[in-house]
Amino acid sequence: MVGLSLGEKNFIQGGIAQDLRSDGRKRLTYRPVSVETGVIPQANGSARVRMGATDVISSVKAELGKPSSLQPDKGKVSIYVDCSPTAAPMFEGRGGDELSTDLSVALQCCLLGGKSGAGAGIDLSSLIVVEGKMCWGLYIDCLVVSSDGNLLDALGAAIKAALSNTGIPRVLVAAGASGDEQPEVDISDEEFLQFDTSDVPVIVTLTKVGRHYIVDATSEEESQMSSAVSISVNRKGHICGLTKRGGAGLDPSIVLDMISVAKHVSEQLMNKLDSEIAAAEAVEDDS
Amino acid sequence: MEYVNPEGLRLDGRRPMEMRQIRAEIGSVAKADGSALFEMGNTKVIAAVYGPREVQNRSQQISDKALVRCEYSMANFSTGDRMRKPKGDRRSTEISLVIRQTMEACIMTHLMPRSQIDIFVQVLQADGGTRSACINAATLALADAGIPLRDLVTSCSAGYLNSTPLLDLNYVEDSAGGPDVTVGFLPKLDKVTLLQMDSKLSIDLFENVMQLAIEGCKAVANYIREILLENTKQLEYRRGL
Repeated sequence: MVGLSLGEKNFIQGGIAQDLRSDGRKRLTYRPVSVETGVIPQANGSARVRMGATDVISSVKAELGKPSSLQPDKGKVSIYVDCSPTAAPMFEGRGGDELSTDLSVALQCCLLGGKSGAGAGIDLSSLIVVEGKMCWGLYIDCLVVSSDGNLLDALGAAIKAALSNTGIPRVLVAAGASGDEQPEVDISDEEFLQFDTSDVPVIVTLTKVGRHYIVDATSEEESQMSSAVSISVNRKGHICGLTKRGGAGLDPSIVLDMISVAKHVSEQLMNKLDSEIAAAEAVEDDS
Repeated sequence: MEYVNPEGLRLDGRRPMEMRQIRAEIGSVAKADGSALFEMGNTKVIAAVYGPREVQNRSQQISDKALVRCEYSMANFSTGDRMRKPKGDRRSTEISLVIRQTMEACIMTHLMPRSQIDIFVQVLQADGGTRSACINAATLALADAGIPLRDLVTSCSAGYLNSTPLLDLNYVEDSAGGPDVTVGFLPKLDKVTLLQMDSKLSIDLFENVMQLAIEGCKAVANYIREILLENTKQLEYRRGL
């Protein structure tokens, strides 16, 4: 954990109250975001996102599998987060497991929608190859390389960038397969389908310190928080998921206020992220 | 299977005595005291060093030297087939131990009694030679953290396939089942700190293969030295000296 003296605590809290944080940002300003795509060539898609000293890598691997019997017309997506001990010595051994699970669950809430798959940011029906028999399973693995607060937003951004970098091979299904047998397929090496990521939401975490709330908190600021609300918002301004963390209770009216602020902030973040992803893709195409 | 074709080229187009392309970057983990990224071809690892600092677990404290700890972990996406491995399996425990012993041999632990140095290595991509890449990354990270070292320990592997000694095996060559010699070397002191081999090899051939691996270590050491010098120049420049 971050060890802070009383003076440092007062400095951080006072700064937030005066809308001037210790790194010179305002309450609702993000740190500069940098995106790099295609960092893991073995994966179908990957991206590395840095926000200040927070550094995360996300990779997408697609595997053919059988859709679940309850939802024969939908593919599968699963998200796993791993906290590397390089980020902090306390993640050594099993130390990072709790935080990893916490982040995985929060990301699943925010990006994958409900149990039925309704409201998911990722269009699950586009992953189907043969209804009821074969579908793509997307495994999204994230790795926290360096941690300086606001991991959830960074992970959300990395997943979005990795998905827009993902190419899923075109599959040709051999005609004539019938009945219960698995259809024969031919996976193309050259043709890839690009993934539609326009509906993938961004996650905005508002951290409440004192009477105010801030976005993109550093780990020092997070150590002073009373509670945090993570809201995922898509391009249309719909709220796709929400989680509250932290010990203290929140007044319901404040929650509603936070949601409207998050909606406003998410527009800027979404635009920023889109241009960064486009720039990263352009760099990758050049090289 | 033919690992060296009649023209003397390997599967990935290298000559038998040729290394994969190496690339290193210092300071890739902002929060750590020292960190580095090291690539050997498609193998990519990150190392982070925390310390010297207070010993977390008092019972492990050593009164006359520093405690060195190491943890090796592989990312889920690092291998070709995706798999979820539990932490602390036998392979990673063994590699952690190897890296720890190799690094301990070159850190001047007697200068930092009652303290602890943590080395964390994270494999982002595995394509053979992760052991060597981890040691090279750890050396750079230790140097970046400013920890007193006797020498820069570097590592490289060599093997013997199709009656040809091969430098720096990749994953396919590594899985061929031939001998694989991993050497850790202190180039200035001219000493071997790590030596591992599996499979069998005649004594005269072993000498050749080990010599080849040592040459590889020297080449890596030269590159690492360049990177460190470049980094120091950058620091000097930023200070305005």
